[in-house]
Amino acid sequence: MGELAPFLIIGVTSGSVYGLAAMGLVLTYKTSGVFNFAHGAIAAVAAFAFYELHTVRGLPWPVALLLAVVVLPPVVAVGLERVTRGLAGGTVTTKIVATVGLQLAIVSALIAHYGGAGLSFPRFLPTESVGIVGINVGIDQLISAGVAAAAAVAFFVFFRASPTGTRMRAVVDNPELLSLAGTNPVAVRRWAWLIGTWFAAISGVLLAPQIGLDALLLTLLVVQAYGAAAVGLFASLPLTYAGGLLIGVLAALATNLVAGHQWLAQLPPAMPFVVLFVVLLLVPRHKLVEPGAHASPAPVAPLVSPATARALTVAAIAVAAVLPLLVGPRLPVYASALVFVLIFTSLHLLVRISGQISLAHAGLVAIGAATFAHLATGVGLPWLGAVALAGLVVVPVGMIVAVPAIRLAGLFLALATFGFALLLEKVAYPSDWVFGAQGTLPATRPAGFDSDVAFYYVLLAFTVAGLGLVALITRSRLGRLLRALADSPTTLSTLGLGINVTRITVFGLSALIAGVAGALHAAQSHAASATPFSALQSLTWLAVLVLFGPARGAAPVLAALFLVVAPTYGTSDALTDWMPVVFGLGALLVAVHEAGRAQRHAGGSTAQQGEPSRAAERIGAGSAAAERAERAVSRAGDRPGYRISIGTAREGGR
Amino acid sequence: MTHRVDTEHGADAAAAADTSGLRATELTVRFGGNTAVSGISFTAPRGRVTGLIGPNGAGKTTTFNACSGLLAPSAGRVALFGEDVTARGPARRARLGLGRTFQRMELFDTLTVEENVALGREARLAGSHPLRQVVNPPAQRKAVRAATEDALELCMLGQQRRAIAGSLSTGQRRLVDLARVLAGGFSVLLLDEPSSGLDTAETRRFGEIIGRVVAEHGSGVLLVEHDMALVMDICEHIHVLDFGELVFAGTPSEVRSSETVRAAYLGSEAG
Ligand SMILES: Nc1ncnc2c1ncn2[C@@H]1O[C@H](COP(=O)(O)OP(=O)(O)OP(=O)(O)O)[C@@H](O)[C@H]1O
Ligand SMILES: [Mg+2]
Repeated sequence: MGELAPFLIIGVTSGSVYGLAAMGLVLTYKTSGVFNFAHGAIAAVAAFAFYELHTVRGLPWPVALLLAVVVLPPVVAVGLERVTRGLAGGTVTTKIVATVGLQLAIVSALIAHYGGAGLSFPRFLPTESVGIVGINVGIDQLISAGVAAAAAVAFFVFFRASPTGTRMRAVVDNPELLSLAGTNPVAVRRWAWLIGTWFAAISGVLLAPQIGLDALLLTLLVVQAYGAAAVGLFASLPLTYAGGLLIGVLAALATNLVAGHQWLAQLPPAMPFVVLFVVLLLVPRHKLVEPGAHASPAPVAPLVSPATARALTVAAIAVAAVLPLLVGPRLPVYASALVFVLIFTSLHLLVRISGQISLAHAGLVAIGAATFAHLATGVGLPWLGAVALAGLVVVPVGMIVAVPAIRLAGLFLALATFGFALLLEKVAYPSDWVFGAQGTLPATRPAGFDSDVAFYYVLLAFTVAGLGLVALITRSRLGRLLRALADSPTTLSTLGLGINVTRITVFGLSALIAGVAGALHAAQSHAASATPFSALQSLTWLAVLVLFGPARGAAPVLAALFLVVAPTYGTSDALTDWMPVVFGLGALLVAVHEAGRAQRHAGGSTAQQGEPSRAAERIGAGSAAAERAERAVSRAGDRPGYRISIGTAREGGR
Repeated sequence: MTHRVDTEHGADAAAAADTSGLRATELTVRFGGNTAVSGISFTAPRGRVTGLIGPNGAGKTTTFNACSGLLAPSAGRVALFGEDVTARGPARRARLGLGRTFQRMELFDTLTVEENVALGREARLAGSHPLRQVVNPPAQRKAVRAATEDALELCMLGQQRRAIAGSLSTGQRRLVDLARVLAGGFSVLLLDEPSSGLDTAETRRFGEIIGRVVAEHGSGVLLVEHDMALVMDICEHIHVLDFGELVFAGTPSEVRSSETVRAAYLGSEAG
């Protein structure tokens, strides 16, 4: 025990803040049904607000703190409540994309305004350290942990004792109650968002002094809270806080354990993601209950007729073929855009056509890039063979990502894949099998195609082939099955299809294209490196792709042009910097719009059937309270009709 | 009008040999502490329409879900054509010849009517084999097309074949759901309130379709319906559920004159 004490102290002090952040996340998730990927960005906003008010404008720190942590959050919370209310009827993907877009917009705005380099954050708390059981702990760290713990305790008192807290607790226990009983849903949700935002703000201001003021880093640190939320199974608030402490302790123990093992050095910081992934893979599925049913996407009429689409395709290929004559020195930009067309095509196949979710896509591309570099430069395989093999090597990795897709649905699937992506980034990328400690490997272009123009045409050939392949798939039997899978997997399985086989197939196919794209990315940039493929990139890619969703088949091309080419045409640096803010907000708007359409669509068919509100039908694996409420409704002469319980559906569950 | 028997799977051959169709034994389903279905036993043999009726919340849809493999029963067994399928998933049961529709029509909303109906057959042909899901041999293509045409014609959906399913009216959506399961060529069909949302003419037509499917192809139908006239008209045998328990079973005329059944329905209205 005496030996472990130091780790317990370190772990608990760092874990307390994550626990608090995670509680805010779970509270808002359970009451609104929207998992806020921008939670960390809000923490960053509070930290930057404090910096602005205190360091830049010279306000005394207590005033700045009060404004940043107490006064600012209510404003943010009201906005968030409003936006997420609009998302209620959307598909899981639209809900994810909305808050991912928000996160992107906030983080990019902070970077555009304050610059990307970490600013030093004023240390407003005393920095001396005291000795506790033989180790030195900073007083500021102790205060942080104490403040976080006090906030958590204050919350539990409010949650247990106040009338609003009681209502909130009922809703957290059973989110569907919100729409059934006489509670005012907006009031409860506003309170939840307010508290969630407060917790995010507090954790931001407490974390910033230790790590410096860096928007991206702060965001990522709050991502660590996902692990804590997983310990509470995204439902129990006390367990979530305990999960924060547990992860802090595990990380401290791991630091001790891996000392001296170079390749494991990244394990301690990756601990939250290990916990996230393991919990999601091992916990019985019915324990993970997602508030709200899975809406299916509303049908969209194509923007153009098939004939026009064909003509546009031919025209686009023709333009791409003469592009080297037109764009001069910008050609490399367009060449990378071609690679991104392939990346987006593979994501499109998975997300838009098949309705699956993966937040691990950057990881697949990265492994393709690294494998290619090893095979072409290291082993000395012929260029084309190395590209093909790189694609094939990524297929089983893609299928691993599909494994959570068999057990999990919706948000939990997304988080499991995100946990996997973060693990890849933290643990696999630095290993010698992938990018190595340097984080970069040399990569070559094929002999005779070394010039930018010649290689551009190689890329064009691959891109056209990739798009052609996906077009073929869409028209084939598999394509029909995939589109149906996106609409209603349960029905498909009751018609006799082994939908898990279909899921694994599409994840594998998508990974193949992603792997080849990774190889081409490496060849185009003469190096395979880890930097372009951080786990957060997958979120950005998804947001940008969904932004162009209404363009259907053309979405991958437009997304690539927008992501890669458009920023380089900025007339000033400022414009280029603010570009990601625009597409973050754009993704948010598109998501809200799509959710609205889906809701109207669902609402429309419900009204026609003269059945009670869809909300009343969405009760998942039921709790006793909902059951009674439902019975009461049904005895009153209404007609309940349940959707199939997601938790217990065997093969058909989404 | 031909209703093709799916010879490739051999399952329907077995089905033909054993007319027992669907058999549930002592089936119990609990949700938490609430027992939705408690220890019910019944059969839905081929070649006849069996009714399953009861007031709202009696457990009819839950029974369907347990039979088709979407819910694992807390106790009891489900057998199809003599084979115990309690531990089997929904896809396997479908390939053995069990088809179903949904009370809340679960159509493929972004696909056309024709594609929806075709998938009734194609999903079954594709099964659980990765290659079969990708390769579409000409023989199967023909079989799918023929089954689709038959089902579309039977349900009078020829006009709407190119329409996107999500844009149809409730009545038409019901018919698409029915056509899809008919195209599948299943030997036993579970139909969950197929006539709700249909007008009088459509309901009459629906009764005729069911009659033909049973008479011409020897399919079995287990029908959940609130339209009593329809139930009394087309069912040969009726099971009555109340609060998850089987309270009565008999012919339409026996059901009509049963005090127990009357009490179940009245009780639910009064209480
Ligand atoms: N997924 C579920 N979770 C919890 N309870 C459920 C679930 N599905 C059904 N129930 C409960 O089981 C009971 C039976 O419901 P079921 O939908 O089977 O009734 P039903 O006979 O089909 O009614 P209706 O005629 O209204 O369609 C109801 O009391 C309902 O509250
Ligand atoms: Mg029902």
